[in-house]
Amino acid sequence: MTEEKKNKNNSSDDQDMMKLVDNLNRKDDVNLNRRAFLKASFGTTVAIGLATTPFGVMSAVQNDKDDSERVEIADANELAVGEAKNFSYPTEGDTAVLVRTPDDKYVAYNNKCTHLQCPVFYEHKDNVLLCPCHKGYFDVNNGHPIAGPPQRELPKILVEVKDGKVFAVGREYRHG
Amino acid sequence: MDKKRAAFLSIFVFLAVNVISLARVIEGYYGKEYSHVYPFMFAALISTALATVAFFIWKKEEYKN
Repeated sequence: MTEEKKNKNNSSDDQDMMKLVDNLNRKDDVNLNRRAFLKASFGTTVAIGLATTPFGVMSAVQNDKDDSERVEIADANELAVGEAKNFSYPTEGDTAVLVRTPDDKYVAYNNKCTHLQCPVFYEHKDNVLLCPCHKGYFDVNNGHPIAGPPQRELPKILVEVKDGKVFAVGREYRHG
Repeated sequence: MDKKRAAFLSIFVFLAVNVISLARVIEGYYGKEYSHVYPFMFAALISTALATVAFFIWKKEEYKN
């Protein structure tokens, strides 16, 4: 390479280096620094805030599909005090148990255990709802767990006694 | 505390509010406690709107010169 060419290259290198200074300034604004950090944090804030809306919409849709259908479960005289009957509410897949308690009240709950979905039975002797899989006990008066692994109450089916018949009129997931 | 610093710090406060709100909304939705979903969803949306205002205040002050 001739001396003249070398000098030419050197001068173009210098030009590039001068341009790099501009690059550094620009990069300073793009790479991680205080400004970029705040912008990323702001973006995260917006993303997380907007992520709540689909759940709100889905909740509204679920609320509209409430289980307010009125279904006849049994004749009022069909069950003696301390007896129970299985039925399904609101769909065939949602099995439930209707109990005529010793205080002569009708109560009903979906009978899938809130622990691992085993069927729950009414235990007349102890007046409790029992899940035999892992010995989960529920209070028959309110469906809340009283012993064993279940942490949540059984979904409560609202019952109404009218004209000698027991009707299921709705369902509450969280109650009392 | 000057305006720019207040706007800067408030964005992190709104970020914390949104994180907590999202957690509560998800918990309410999957726990079928729909009445818990809406208040936290609105809190998150208001917080997001305020964060946007704070961001533009900060941006205006930051790039003034």
